[in-house]
Amino acid sequence: MVTRAPLLAARGVSKSFFGNPVLRDVSIALQPGRVHALLGENGAGKSTLINLLSGALRPDGGTIEVDGYTVSRMTPTYARQAGIAVVQQELSLTASLSIAENIGLGAYPKRFGLIDYPELAARAGAACDLVGLHEPLSTPVGHLPLGRRQMVEIAKALYRTPRVLILDEPTSSLSATETKILTDLLERLRSEGIAILYISHRLNEVMTLCQHVTVLKDGTCTADRTLEGTDAAGLVRLMVGRDPGDLFPRWQPSAPPADVISVRKFSAGLMRDVDLDIRAGELLGIGGLVGQGQEDLLLGLYGAIPAGTASATVNGASGLPGGVPKANALGLAYVPADRKREGLHLIHPIIANMMLPAFARLPALKLRSRRAERETARGLAAQLAIKGDLDRPAQALSGGNQQKVALAKWMPHDPLVLLLNDPTRGVDVETKREIYMMLRNFAAAGKAVVLLSSDTPELVHLCDRVAVVREGRIVAMLDRGALSEEAIVSAAMGAEQRKVAA
Amino acid sequence: MSTVPSAGQAGALYWPVQARRNVGVRGLFAVVLAFLFAYGFLFPGLLTASGFAKFTQSWFPLALVAMAQAILMLTGGISLAIGAMVSLGAVIAATTMTGPLGVAGGAAAVALTGLGIGAATGFIVVRLRLPAIVVTLAGSFIIGGAALLILPRPGGAIPEWLSDLLAGNTPAAFVVLVLIVLLWKLYLATPLGLSLYAAGENPVGAYRSGVPVDGARIAAYAISGLLSTGAGLFVAAQTGSGDPVIGAAFTLNSIAAAVLGGIGFLGGQGTMRGALAGSLLLSLMISVMFFLGFTPVAQYVAQGLIIIGAVAIPQFRKVQQ
Repeated sequence: MVTRAPLLAARGVSKSFFGNPVLRDVSIALQPGRVHALLGENGAGKSTLINLLSGALRPDGGTIEVDGYTVSRMTPTYARQAGIAVVQQELSLTASLSIAENIGLGAYPKRFGLIDYPELAARAGAACDLVGLHEPLSTPVGHLPLGRRQMVEIAKALYRTPRVLILDEPTSSLSATETKILTDLLERLRSEGIAILYISHRLNEVMTLCQHVTVLKDGTCTADRTLEGTDAAGLVRLMVGRDPGDLFPRWQPSAPPADVISVRKFSAGLMRDVDLDIRAGELLGIGGLVGQGQEDLLLGLYGAIPAGTASATVNGASGLPGGVPKANALGLAYVPADRKREGLHLIHPIIANMMLPAFARLPALKLRSRRAERETARGLAAQLAIKGDLDRPAQALSGGNQQKVALAKWMPHDPLVLLLNDPTRGVDVETKREIYMMLRNFAAAGKAVVLLSSDTPELVHLCDRVAVVREGRIVAMLDRGALSEEAIVSAAMGAEQRKVAA
Repeated sequence: MSTVPSAGQAGALYWPVQARRNVGVRGLFAVVLAFLFAYGFLFPGLLTASGFAKFTQSWFPLALVAMAQAILMLTGGISLAIGAMVSLGAVIAATTMTGPLGVAGGAAAVALTGLGIGAATGFIVVRLRLPAIVVTLAGSFIIGGAALLILPRPGGAIPEWLSDLLAGNTPAAFVVLVLIVLLWKLYLATPLGLSLYAAGENPVGAYRSGVPVDGARIAAYAISGLLSTGAGLFVAAQTGSGDPVIGAAFTLNSIAAAVLGGIGFLGGQGTMRGALAGSLLLSLMISVMFFLGFTPVAQYVAQGLIIIGAVAIPQFRKVQQ
């Protein structure tokens, strides 16, 4: 076992955003010659931990150590000088510059104050060879497909000859061949004594590549152990399992199902050839890792992005709505995840936000009745327990109350299908409880509720069925009886390839 | 393509990179060439020494302000004060060059003013994180006012030999332009110069890569200011005197030329050679339409339509892909 001081370590670090703790007393130590896996569900705090390790954020408590010495003020510059390289999920590349110019960016070799192009070509070429990039170095990065750009990003990290290499989901956009090249490369770098921190949602990769694992759950560390003698199921168990308490309303079987939306071979955005039936009176959950196409599914059904399908029935009408006004007319309503940008008009009064869908339905030049609007808004505020003066701007409300306004604005139109995109993200517990209650009541009233959520317990305890999406497809349709956090996370991560019958 | 050995690449990287940058502007170059032939056909004098000199002189100030605008747009910024800077450069040149400072002192004053105001504007935009369009709009009033304070009505003078040198029958303007382009190439071969693209297109990624994003952007504003007041000096030499509002038309023409040249508004898109070709095209269009007897109104309308077309064509091509 290695006994040297870790190259990079966090000791008991904590971090909060706006009073919301994201990391609590987390420690991690990156040893030379070891591939260290960092696992956790969406929002467990992985990205925050990376940002602390690379100096992009500073911890509220705890320390960062390099070579065993505490660094009082970790900055991106210091991290670079200490040989820490991060391959972020969002790429740091410039499309109009060439591969070589991107790889050297920020650390160009110089001669007489000018970029030393021959030297750059030699060093960038060496880095490209390592990752198996054989395109001419003068190719603009904008001409490369996403997977190759990811390889450029990795080459860029290697160009700086790091001692510590942090990779945040490097394989999410890579092909099987590229993944193989990367795993071989990491194996070699490891044998050269580099410390590697590897974040991935693909458990098979983690099992074959890594020696040590740290598991985060809700901002705390639930495991810090060697991977020897661990199996995928054991890892999944470490990531899930929160005590739900009395947060969720008691689940009751719903009315006999009747399909309100039924699509075959539906494609939109990332989603490909999806068959889906949404039933009246049920709460259908959509689960999976972030960004697998779930949002495109909702937006495509809502007509907000182009979608294609072999056959579709929406509320008795055949064909997809194809546009938002049509979708509204068919009784569909969509509540976006990003309420600050998409759900609400923050600087406008609460009442105007609530009335917005109504404006769209009224004849364009009809005079408004302020009194009727005010009455409707008061009714909605009372119904959803929205506190505060309705003439204040929406941004004055707390996150939870903003979400309620975003929901409330659709209520006067009595939608038959509610498409909800992560409605409880960043919402306090009390409001969550109220929203859960509301959703169950909608379903009980015979409406269909589609709940896209990044919070697995929510899907388990609230929904009648859960569709798990991975890489643009529904990989599992879990019925109430088969619902568990383990089942959802396993399906989302591909820990078991077997489909669970609907 | 997939078997090129890296050893073969190592020798030559600079020139292939340069050649790649031509890809996006080939169509534009073809259009410019067509217009050049049309112009040469309508006005055979172009092929004489003095005809060539006059033609490059009519293009020169527009080329400079197009570069001044393009360098800002590459960083994701813009300037509405280019015209005012041109005016200020012109009046400073016209009031200093025949005075005790002499031509060299006057030119230095013009250059320092451009660099200083540009750097100050850049500092306000970049460090105080204010929108460039608002800061430079306000700046255009202040700078334009300063030009009127220095020279309330057209006047002043430029030494006759300088006017003859720059705006006479010699291709001096063209030579200066070639020099400026070479200096630009040199700047783009420095780490700071090349960082312009990264700072404009992906500032967060550039910062994480260790690029001095703020520095690169402020430097761009300073260079832009220098080019603008330099254009003013040339305009004063052309007319032989200073006029405090002579630059007004350059603000929008500089944007038009840059856009024609394929510079995007979002930063990091486009090339300086494109912007130069755009300014040449604009200048040719104006001349050709003049020779074809278009009325001024028709010229403006045609100019507007061509600019919209120039922006729309690449957009359509992108959508088709």
